[in-house]
Amino acid sequence: MSRLSTVRWSTVLLTVLAGAWLYPVVWTLANAVRRTADVYRPPWDVPWPPAVEQIGVAWERGQLGSALTNSAIVTLLTVAIVLVVSASAAYGLTTLRPPARPVLFVLVLAPLVIPTEVLIVPLFSMYRALGLIDSLPGLALVNAVASVSFATVILAGYFRTIPRDVIDAARVDGAGRMDVLLRVVIPMARPGIAAVALLVAVLTWNDFAGALVLIQDPDAFTVQLALTRFANFYATDQGVTFAGLAIIILPPLLVFLVLQRSFMAGLTGGIVRR
Amino acid sequence: MLGAVTIRADIERGQQPMILHMPRAHRLSLGNLADLVYVVPALALLGGFLLYPLVYGIGLTLHDGQGADATRFIGLEHFTRAVLGDAVFHRSLLNTILFTGAAVILQTGIGFLLAVLVSGVRRGRTVLLVAFFAPFVLASVAVGAVWKFLYAPFFGVAATIGGALGVEASTIAPLADERTALLAILAAFLWRFTGFTMVVYAAAIRALPREYDDVASLEGASWSQRVRHVTWPLLWPQTFALVLLTTLGTLRIFDMVWVMTAGGPDHATETVATHVYTTAFRFGDVGYAQAMAMILLAVILVLTVVEYRLLNPRAEESSG
Repeated sequence: MSRLSTVRWSTVLLTVLAGAWLYPVVWTLANAVRRTADVYRPPWDVPWPPAVEQIGVAWERGQLGSALTNSAIVTLLTVAIVLVVSASAAYGLTTLRPPARPVLFVLVLAPLVIPTEVLIVPLFSMYRALGLIDSLPGLALVNAVASVSFATVILAGYFRTIPRDVIDAARVDGAGRMDVLLRVVIPMARPGIAAVALLVAVLTWNDFAGALVLIQDPDAFTVQLALTRFANFYATDQGVTFAGLAIIILPPLLVFLVLQRSFMAGLTGGIVRR
Repeated sequence: MLGAVTIRADIERGQQPMILHMPRAHRLSLGNLADLVYVVPALALLGGFLLYPLVYGIGLTLHDGQGADATRFIGLEHFTRAVLGDAVFHRSLLNTILFTGAAVILQTGIGFLLAVLVSGVRRGRTVLLVAFFAPFVLASVAVGAVWKFLYAPFFGVAATIGGALGVEASTIAPLADERTALLAILAAFLWRFTGFTMVVYAAAIRALPREYDDVASLEGASWSQRVRHVTWPLLWPQTFALVLLTTLGTLRIFDMVWVMTAGGPDHATETVATHVYTTAFRFGDVGYAQAMAMILLAVILVLTVVEYRLLNPRAEESSG
């Protein structure tokens, strides 16, 4: 009896809380089509006709077309680099034996304790010397370093679940190490690879610190930098600012909503699995 | 036997079968060498974009770097200045550590409670998890901007709630007030990340065997007793990982603060990372900025090791 009442009480509490939790998101999306004067109304109160033209204004003012393209390029490049490098490293690490394995694992985990923020000053000097300021592939490399650790850890977790017999059987059949990786390990770890790709994509799309320092030419701005074009929130048109915000948060939000199962499973996989 | 297959495969792919020339005892370690090759791309990436800037950055800290180029060697002068003479740096370090401490405790605590509650839900569990997790995928710049609007004086949600509670709405401006600005950023930060903690705990609770809970229940343990004495200790491995991850992710905090207050008002929300950024890219003092960044790195390393030592043994107990 007490269990039942506990369950109901918690469901109600969580539902109310979840509604409050989502309020800022729904409010932002509603404000994309509400004029500045209506911004502080409750989200469900959208005046008719909605101010759809604001989306076009935000698109123009923030040069969001080029920013979205730049962000897409950086994101795709980063995901590609991280998948190749991490899948390869995870494969090597799962088959390696001590003492090489723990030592290399620690090296691969280094970016976790050395965040981009700590290295941003020397990275800037280095990029300027190499002519990589405003380079989208250059930004992708910095983002890749930030993601390579957890990607390797998650992938190694998935690779370890592949039965040793399957790999040995392939080897006995004459498959080389690379064949095993490409034809056996990667196809069997497909859910893990998808989850890692999603996670890296969202983190890269949302990167701000790296882009702020390494990208200066407005033509090379990513979406997060484009958002700073709306920076003076109180002086500019707030309805338009919200339209810009909505455009920028929508891609990761939609990807997450459509693929949430894979997303959350990949994220928790590395921590929950023993 | 497997070694022989490897050699054959190596020959077929045109590689030199190094194992052939080695005495038998060395085969294992050289077999390892072939696996080692797969880690090389990762090591190359980290060498070029982590190790090199790290070493270069250490060089920067030892030179006077007004303007663009750091040239004059000045030894540890930047470090003495940071430790002894820069009140803003002290403030930023204190803010960063306090913020991280509060974020770790609250994010872990609230995330755990939400996960326990959501685990009792039969229908709509996933919908609830998605709702709490959604802010995690939003950019910090966007979250900062949206919360800045929520905190706006007069119209913002904070002012409206305050007004409903009878506080003069015009005096409610959480981000403009030195006493509340850091807390206001913390609230937005927790909103963004608590769902992550919750989802990790919820998945772990699901993977727990039900017997423990049932036995405790049969022995008359109340709901809160079971949560405290059964669930919490069993989830210690996750707590350990989450505390470390949250600490590492929070000590570096830059973007949300930068967007919401840029460290103000009067350095009330200055973090080490924002102070480093301003010093390097507004004032061009790259050597000094990097010295402060290295001190932050030292703090990160020390806290990580301390947490690892303090929290890890219990992780082994409860999982063993």
